Amino acid sequence: MELFDNLALGFSVAFSFQNLAYALLGCLLGTLIGVLPGIGPVATIAMLLPITFHLPPTASLIMLAGIYYGASYGGSTTSILVNLPGESASVVTCLDGYQMARNGRAGAALSISAVGSFFAGTVGTAIIVMFAEPLTRMAQKFGPADYCSLMALGLVAAVILASGSVIKAIAMIFLGLLFGLVGTDVNTGAQRFTLDMPELSDGIDFAPIAMGIFGIAEIVVNLERHLTRTGGAIKVNSLWPTAEEIRRAIPAALRGTFLGAALGVLPGGGPTLGAFSSYTLEKKISKNPSKFGKGAVEGVAAPEAANNAAAQTSFIPMLTLGIPSNAVMALMVGAMIIQGIQPGPEVMTKKPDLFWGMIASMWIGNAMLVVINLPMIGIWVKLLTVPYRFLAPAILLFCCIGAYSLQNSTFHVMQVAVFGVLGYIFVRLGCEGAPFLLGLVLGPQMEEYFRRAMLLSRGDPMVFLERPISLGLLITTALLLILMALPSFKKAREEAFQEEG
Amino acid sequence: MKTTRFWEASLNRFLSKDFLSGLMFIGFGLLALYFGQKLALGTPVRMGPGYVPRMLSLVLVGLGVLICIVAMVSGSDPVEKPKWKPITLVTIGIVCFALLFERAGLIPALIVLILIASLANEEFKLVEVIGNMVALSVLCTLVFKVGLGMNISILRGVW
Repeated sequence: MELFDNLALGFSVAFSFQNLAYALLGCLLGTLIGVLPGIGPVATIAMLLPITFHLPPTASLIMLAGIYYGASYGGSTTSILVNLPGESASVVTCLDGYQMARNGRAGAALSISAVGSFFAGTVGTAIIVMFAEPLTRMAQKFGPADYCSLMALGLVAAVILASGSVIKAIAMIFLGLLFGLVGTDVNTGAQRFTLDMPELSDGIDFAPIAMGIFGIAEIVVNLERHLTRTGGAIKVNSLWPTAEEIRRAIPAALRGTFLGAALGVLPGGGPTLGAFSSYTLEKKISKNPSKFGKGAVEGVAAPEAANNAAAQTSFIPMLTLGIPSNAVMALMVGAMIIQGIQPGPEVMTKKPDLFWGMIASMWIGNAMLVVINLPMIGIWVKLLTVPYRFLAPAILLFCCIGAYSLQNSTFHVMQVAVFGVLGYIFVRLGCEGAPFLLGLVLGPQMEEYFRRAMLLSRGDPMVFLERPISLGLLITTALLLILMALPSFKKAREEAFQEEG
Repeated sequence: MKTTRFWEASLNRFLSKDFLSGLMFIGFGLLALYFGQKLALGTPVRMGPGYVPRMLSLVLVGLGVLICIVAMVSGSDPVEKPKWKPITLVTIGIVCFALLFERAGLIPALIVLILIASLANEEFKLVEVIGNMVALSVLCTLVFKVGLGMNISILRGVW
């Protein structure tokens, strides 16, 4: 079986001492930053991007994946222990997780969440393995016009499933696409929007933008909110759940896993959608819905499993098609491009060791989280008691040094400052950063495919409608746009995001 | 009396999140059009460097106008009054760090950044801030200079 050969290759890459060490380091650093309240996975990955740049490509992606898992896990920990979700995906975990902790079941909630996440991560990884090859083979039939339409679909779909105003999100995509064009034009060598700054001729670096828009803006917003800890430190007692808790958690975690895995593949889906939907599902099918919000085990097991399963399967469109489905994946695409890898179907055929090594390391990363983090929970709890007034300046400092280290230039630090202000304006105006980031990452490629498609068709834009694949994708895009304009869909969409607040 | 309320109401409409973001998109679109005006457009077959940027900026301006109109007609949430202190101080802190880092070294840049960033917080205690500076100086020197061997100077001219 080719599948097993591939997996064997993957594990041989992932089990090298170096890659194991980077996966471990990534998980630890991710958790470390992720448990800091108010800092979600996107900000964590953005801030830690610089340290992965100088690694070899495979190691850097393995480490980034580890950071992602660690940050998500850290988010669940803070939700359960101090009722402060680090990210929108763990908002639902707060509802019952914190109540469980208050009932003296903090240890049980943490271990159910960790083991449930690990199980979901394993299933998610298995799904990636199964889907990777057929999807990649399909994608290899795509021409430039098809790719262009596929990206349009990806971008539009990402908007629908994001919360907030649709039209503003679309405008944010276009703004991102424009920012992506800064720098030297590949075809003609002309300087575009560089404002005569030689530093910009290679384009605006991805890392300072991500750090500014997500990292700095998030810190500033937290400073404004005057973050204070609620409840103080909760004592973590025995990590073992009771037999009754296990009996109730297992089916919930199973349902959460499959719902999350299915929703994660959708463009714009991913952990948040998975967690919210599975919580709603559990509440609906429960015989005793009034328990929810008062420490129901199912309310922790299901969303935690769902968000991890979705976090895994959201890698599928990114790895096979090169289309990121959410902000975290956009960061991964950016990191790949910096490493000189163009995400897309070629990655699997041309760099099988990187592709399968990364998939294998996903599973290892999930396993590591359970093994390292449960025993280390005491340390993370201690970290939670460090006041924000110490943490905020320290995080800023690390961001600055990280930005400098990208190319040993203070120009990058200045860029972080500029994009921090821009990111703050976005937050204040209720414009979401994720569509901007997706546009930014896809901009250069999309222009390239667009120009190539138009060149091949001798300037006839009908090419996008004549190729069956492209036409199908564009029709889907149009349908989605029409769907969004329908009042009933609009209402359902608003309701789905209501609990997020 | 009536007129002032009218003015307040319309001012609120202009200061809504959606209206202002519409203006922002229009602004970015116009900027891109201005800075991209010298880029050759080319033809649809052989597009010049300016073709796609021009297209995108025009769409962006269009969307901005649309957002403004929708905001005027149906209204939207008023923009929260921003607190100027955190964003201003954080930005100044980062800029100072960028200016000082190569000229004076890690420690001076760090001290200035931590001081300014700590001012952004309402509970400012000098002793704590100094403690934070010392701890971070030691940590950063150990991690970045000694551990990772980065080519940075801790204090210009000294180390």
